[in-house]
Amino acid sequence: MTGAPQPTQQRWPWWVQWLLAYAVAGALAGVCGLAVVELGVYDVRAIRPHNAAFAWATHTTMIHSVRLRAGGSTTLHVTPQQAKAGFALYDANCALCHGGPAISRAAWVSGMTPTPPYLVDAADRWTPAQLHFIIAGGVKMTGMPAWGTTLSDGQISDLVNFLEVMPYTTGSDYQRLRAANAKH
Amino acid sequence: MRTPGLGWRALAIFAGALLMAGCGQQAGAPHWKTGGDPHQGAVVIIRESCGACHVIPGVQLANGQVGPPLSHFAERTMVAGVLPNTPPNLERWLQTPQAVTPGNAMPNSGLTDTQARDVAAYLYTLR
Repeated sequence: MTGAPQPTQQRWPWWVQWLLAYAVAGALAGVCGLAVVELGVYDVRAIRPHNAAFAWATHTTMIHSVRLRAGGSTTLHVTPQQAKAGFALYDANCALCHGGPAISRAAWVSGMTPTPPYLVDAADRWTPAQLHFIIAGGVKMTGMPAWGTTLSDGQISDLVNFLEVMPYTTGSDYQRLRAANAKH
Repeated sequence: MRTPGLGWRALAIFAGALLMAGCGQQAGAPHWKTGGDPHQGAVVIIRESCGACHVIPGVQLANGQVGPPLSHFAERTMVAGVLPNTPPNLERWLQTPQAVTPGNAMPNSGLTDTQARDVAAYLYTLR
């Protein structure tokens, strides 16, 4: 027997231990994921809101996806004609779920998970290009349809024009616009 | 000599962090007794999308800047600047803000009496 004594406690180098730990963690995550898919342990009903971690993860994923992909201009020259046309489209297609200034959503919308937000400050949260991107493309697993399938690009631009002026639209403005619209 | 099993310890910490991330929306003892359930109120607040217009501490994604932030709501003297901040007034405001100040931006909610009482109970936990 010659040579230095071998350490008996450490059988593998540290990096092998790390790799093993990650492999086990990955395998566990895989098994858990498959269990969720196959065993029905996840409650898919919309009656309870998402837990805070899941709500944060999905919502943040959406925000970052839009920011990465929307591109385009960050300013918009709003025209009154387009904003007016956008109002008509908004009132007909969007207000049911998103409401408006002093305008309630349909009662059943409170049963949706995630629930559609009011959009009074949407223009502060998103650039015009991002709003266009969201309306045209919709958002998976939220109930937000891709309006690009049924509205023209010009109509979606009209909607973005209206969203830009919505923060300056009071409840009575909205009712006036609605009344004027009904006359046509 | 390296401590063996460091990877395992990191894994345990990671798993612990995941577990803790599952908890949230802890409501404290209410300031006013409304008879409502603050936990149920938090659920109603999420469902009604109140957070699209208001900052509401303890409610997921409630970061709206349309209306006033509802932090320290239990300490607030007036509701919407027109009603003394008492449970009946707050519940009335939550259900029919358009009847209290017509034309203000907050829509009527269609909340039931029970839902309004629960939401009020939650807001009174914000001190």
